[in-house]
Amino acid sequence: MTELRQPPGRFRDTAREALGRGHTQEALAAATARLRDGRVAAWEGLDDVEALRERAHEIRMRTIDDLDRYLAEFTQNVERLGGRVFHAVTAEEARGYVVDVCRRRGARIVAKSKSMASEEIGLNEALEAAGVRPVETDLGEYILQLAGEHPVHIIAPAIEKTALEVSELLSSVEGRPVPVELEALTQAARGQLREVFQTADVGVTGANFGVVETGSICLVTNEGNGRLVSALPPVHIAIIGMERLVPTLADLAPLLKLLARSATGQKLSTYTTLITGPRREGEEDGPDELHVVILDNGRTNLRRGRYKEMLACIRCGACLNVCPVYRRGGGGAYGPVYSGPMGAVLAPLLVGLEHAKALPHASSLCGACTEACPVKIPLHELLLDLRRDLVAEGVASPFERLAFTLWSIAWSSPLGYRLSTRVARLGQPFGGLIGPGRAWAAGRALPKLRPRFRDRR
Amino acid sequence: MAERVQLFATCLGDLIFPDAVADAEALLRGAGFEVEIPRRQVCCGQPAFNSGHHAAARRVARTFVRAFTRDAPIVCPSGSCTTMASHYLPELVGCEPFDVWELSAFLDARGAAPPPLNEGRVVSYHDSCHMLRELRISEAPRRLLEHSGAIVRPLERPDLCCGFGGTFSVRQPELSVAMADDKLGSAGAVEALVSADPGCLMHLNGRRERTGAGPPLVHLATALARGIDA
Repeated sequence: MTELRQPPGRFRDTAREALGRGHTQEALAAATARLRDGRVAAWEGLDDVEALRERAHEIRMRTIDDLDRYLAEFTQNVERLGGRVFHAVTAEEARGYVVDVCRRRGARIVAKSKSMASEEIGLNEALEAAGVRPVETDLGEYILQLAGEHPVHIIAPAIEKTALEVSELLSSVEGRPVPVELEALTQAARGQLREVFQTADVGVTGANFGVVETGSICLVTNEGNGRLVSALPPVHIAIIGMERLVPTLADLAPLLKLLARSATGQKLSTYTTLITGPRREGEEDGPDELHVVILDNGRTNLRRGRYKEMLACIRCGACLNVCPVYRRGGGGAYGPVYSGPMGAVLAPLLVGLEHAKALPHASSLCGACTEACPVKIPLHELLLDLRRDLVAEGVASPFERLAFTLWSIAWSSPLGYRLSTRVARLGQPFGGLIGPGRAWAAGRALPKLRPRFRDRR
Repeated sequence: MAERVQLFATCLGDLIFPDAVADAEALLRGAGFEVEIPRRQVCCGQPAFNSGHHAAARRVARTFVRAFTRDAPIVCPSGSCTTMASHYLPELVGCEPFDVWELSAFLDARGAAPPPLNEGRVVSYHDSCHMLRELRISEAPRRLLEHSGAIVRPLERPDLCCGFGGTFSVRQPELSVAMADDKLGSAGAVEALVSADPGCLMHLNGRRERTGAGPPLVHLATALARGIDA
């Protein structure tokens, strides 16, 4: 379960690298603005977006509050249709199950559609180690796989790649230069992937939602690759986070209405697929075997208390697109899987604060994320709560704790405040030499302490 | 008899922006209020609170509880400290809420009419995130600026944070500064970038002093009380 962990300096170092890459900065600013503007316009097109958000929040929280029952019903319904369900407590169990299915089927090629859950469990690495070749078929994911990189945006995984970089990657597979034009690039990728769809032994997808009442897997894509991956190979494995259930089809509708609008500004994604069981007698299409891997991997940590709201997340990416920190620092800084505000909240909760302690502070707490969240997760307030946990659980640095304690003792009385500001005045010329003052002064002039307002009176 | 208000100067106001606090006081007096400046006030505790150090924050926030009373509105020339004092402080220290107002919202609600000191001057207004999203105050400061004669030119992305974010500014200084550059760059050729939050102003001003880019930064209270050239 090492996939989501990040060393303390990683966020700052990776963000600094991203800040230094001009083309990354241009791509981030343009793409996030485009996605954000799309969402804003799509929300404006709704009759009563606030009522819809409330309803979506209510559906998500109702499901999470009664998750055990819904999980049992969903499992029963998938199995009744002839599917197999595996409840994976850890990432290791989840990838172990997928690898076992592939081994049993003698699989050589696995076609994958976009799945953050598969990223979370490090599935590709596990398949490769088992001698199976995983091929990402979402265009963005495919590009990243060729580059040997991980997604930096949960919806637009290759958001930081330029057309020139994409052309170089695709050219290396083609063995000929592919022109840096959108159509030529898409055609090249399409040609390369078509063979994968036809020859894959196993298809692996994620799942946007699992519908409890029908035992269906709901997949939302724009490229149609989700359909090919789930229908052409003889085996389909869907990996779904345990919280991604909706009780009924009626509950699914408002969530789909918000998901596409919030993710890409579309009213509906190009392909919304409901997969209900494997191929039945007399049907021409569909896999012989359908496996549903229900992933916990730390989610149970969130189910009680304040943080359960994070389980409402429908992975639309709206919070990333409005985040001024993400916009500059990019997705890589947050770690190899989830990024932006949702990642800054989710990753520490999944792996433990001590393994992602920079993330609760990877925000200016501006609240744009909370405002953009279609299911009304109070993201910036959760970050604030995580900061409190950092201190309460002893993860915050002892130096920081000491500094705030001394400061608070000094400022607990008007006299202490007065005396401490006198000392600060004496120390002012050296303010930029150490600690926070130094960090400030690297890019900004230090503020000058002025004669106090209250001393003038 | 004139209505009494209590002025909360805030630590940044007291130490870094004393002129802006004096301007806030003048505006309140000009609008006919009797302004009391409680002598025992220190700080709302926000720096520690936003870093998760609640015990430290509580220690400092109690100075606020001891200094102010609930029998007159508390007015504050900082959106951020107003948010702390009104939204978070009561729960933190376990006390009844106070009647805390951000300066421009208070003046606007009481129908104050600032003098026409900025006739024809082109400015932009920077929303602090706390004011915009927690207090939901965005119209009042713009209305007051326009009332002072200024032409308020919208920023291209008023929703973007300037990158201050309290300790974020020193935990992630590179990102913080990059966000300041975005904000200063987006202001274009206005004569002043006005804001109602000392935190944002300190950060943006520090960056501008270093790079020379962007318009002069002026606290809203100053812009209204003495004009943007003050």
